[in-house]
Amino acid sequence: MTLRLTLRTEPAARVLAAPLIPERLRGLNAAAVAGLELRCGGERVAVGDLFQVSGGGTEEEALVLSGDLRRLDGIGAHMSRGAIEVQGDVGAWAGAEMSGGVLRILGNAGARLGAAYPGARAGMTGGEVVVTGDAGEEAGAGMRRGLVAVGGRAGNGAGLRMLAGTVIALGGIGREAGLGNRRGSLVSGRSVEPLPSYAFAARFQPPALMLQLLRVRELGLTVRDGLLSGRWARWSGDRTVLSRGEILIFDEDNDGR
Amino acid sequence: MSGYALGAAEVADTFAEAFPMRYARVLITAATEAWAQEAARSMTGFATSVIGCKCEAAIERSLSRVQTPDGRPGVAVLLFAMDREGVGKRVLERVGQSVMTCPTTACFDGLPGAERTAALGRSLRYFGDGFQASKVIAGERFWRIPVMEGEFLVSESVGIGQGVGGGNLVIGAGDDDTALAAAQAAAEAMRGEGVALPFPGGIVRSGSKVGALTSKTMPASTNHQMAPTLRAQVDDTLVPEGVGAMFEIVIDAVSEDAVRQAMRRGLHTAAAAGATHVTAANFGGKLGEFHFPLDELRDPP
Repeated sequence: MTLRLTLRTEPAARVLAAPLIPERLRGLNAAAVAGLELRCGGERVAVGDLFQVSGGGTEEEALVLSGDLRRLDGIGAHMSRGAIEVQGDVGAWAGAEMSGGVLRILGNAGARLGAAYPGARAGMTGGEVVVTGDAGEEAGAGMRRGLVAVGGRAGNGAGLRMLAGTVIALGGIGREAGLGNRRGSLVSGRSVEPLPSYAFAARFQPPALMLQLLRVRELGLTVRDGLLSGRWARWSGDRTVLSRGEILIFDEDNDGR
Repeated sequence: MSGYALGAAEVADTFAEAFPMRYARVLITAATEAWAQEAARSMTGFATSVIGCKCEAAIERSLSRVQTPDGRPGVAVLLFAMDREGVGKRVLERVGQSVMTCPTTACFDGLPGAERTAALGRSLRYFGDGFQASKVIAGERFWRIPVMEGEFLVSESVGIGQGVGGGNLVIGAGDDDTALAAAQAAAEAMRGEGVALPFPGGIVRSGSKVGALTSKTMPASTNHQMAPTLRAQVDDTLVPEGVGAMFEIVIDAVSEDAVRQAMRRGLHTAAAAGATHVTAANFGGKLGEFHFPLDELRDPP
């Protein structure tokens, strides 16, 4: 039975939830998981005090978290394999520096989704993060590889200093997206004014993006057919760094519907 | 000829002889099925015999939108060669010259998870002259090669499988029109998943024998034993009395059983479509490790 953690009540302080990843919890039964400790503000609290724990004790590398988890940061951070499904909103740093696996958030995510920690050269190096709602600022910052896909809007500064990888925001990306982007792909399902350091290239149907959109649809995002059949404007940048990155912006005037 | 009767057709007491081959399955998609077919026809051109063309290839089947990785119409192509290196080289050449060049196409590996692979996008990417980029999607790497139309998307590598090449049927009738109609019907019935018929329309009218009577250097020459016009001229003819034309259907497939089932479909269809004689080509059983006795194909598919 899949390991399930259901939040009892809102924590008294912010909780660093990074230890709750499938590869570390595999094989532990509910009692063992409940006995683990997490940092909550300046205190350490037992997982069992924060969550009602059920399932587990198997080799399955999967985890379901549910509740209003906005005060939990770092969910799925440093995950390298397995799957986490979150039923509810999450705090900052979800999926930070992930290297593999799938993190599905059925709700909204806070700032620095899938991002690099301060001082780190690279953020995500693999894996897939899917958020059905909105994401906060600087999603995918420092990403080297992998996919962050947001069904709603991504906040300002998405793809900050991306090295490579892909950030998709079907509801549109915020301002100053892709600052310092070297080879990464930023995808906005809504019109957006790119930074002046990006230059318009062409409108076309990007074949790799079609595969990625089908993939995120498979992972639970609602991707309307128009996005698959329409054209996207490619803007190249950031010209202040390498100019091998791109922002793909859906051409809403030529929707394909 | 001893053997058995299947409707009006006499089936020879013989067997087809086939060989192990390596193969790749390539999925070609395009904006329309017509463009996918164009690319597939180009890729499988001049690929009838490994002796003369270095590989054997054919369209396996059309793919609907739900059967392709990118949700567009597509075509599956099977390409066979004698070893993994040969498959890899031929796939790379043909995807580069016939698929990448074709408007709107993308090209994917049709054997995901295969133990052995050969480079495809990993080598073809250099055509991008440094402007190429890769994306890892659902754990699989693809290359984006910028081209005049937009981008050509291609899988990093293709899986290599172990298949069987050289299964065959030889279909004869009293005249060429009847024999060809029976062969065409058989070829149509034999196509399907896992099966490639590499000759034009799936049919070869110039079946060959190993070597030549008049040369020590020619690798192959006409199968004089099955040429009706030579029936009264040679001592070792295999053309039965009353047969005016014979056509061969060569089958390459992903497994021994796929060859056998294709032969079974072809045999019964040919017999129902006017063939008076059905036989098979072999090398005395000494060259190929797979033998397909026609006697084992009596039961209908």
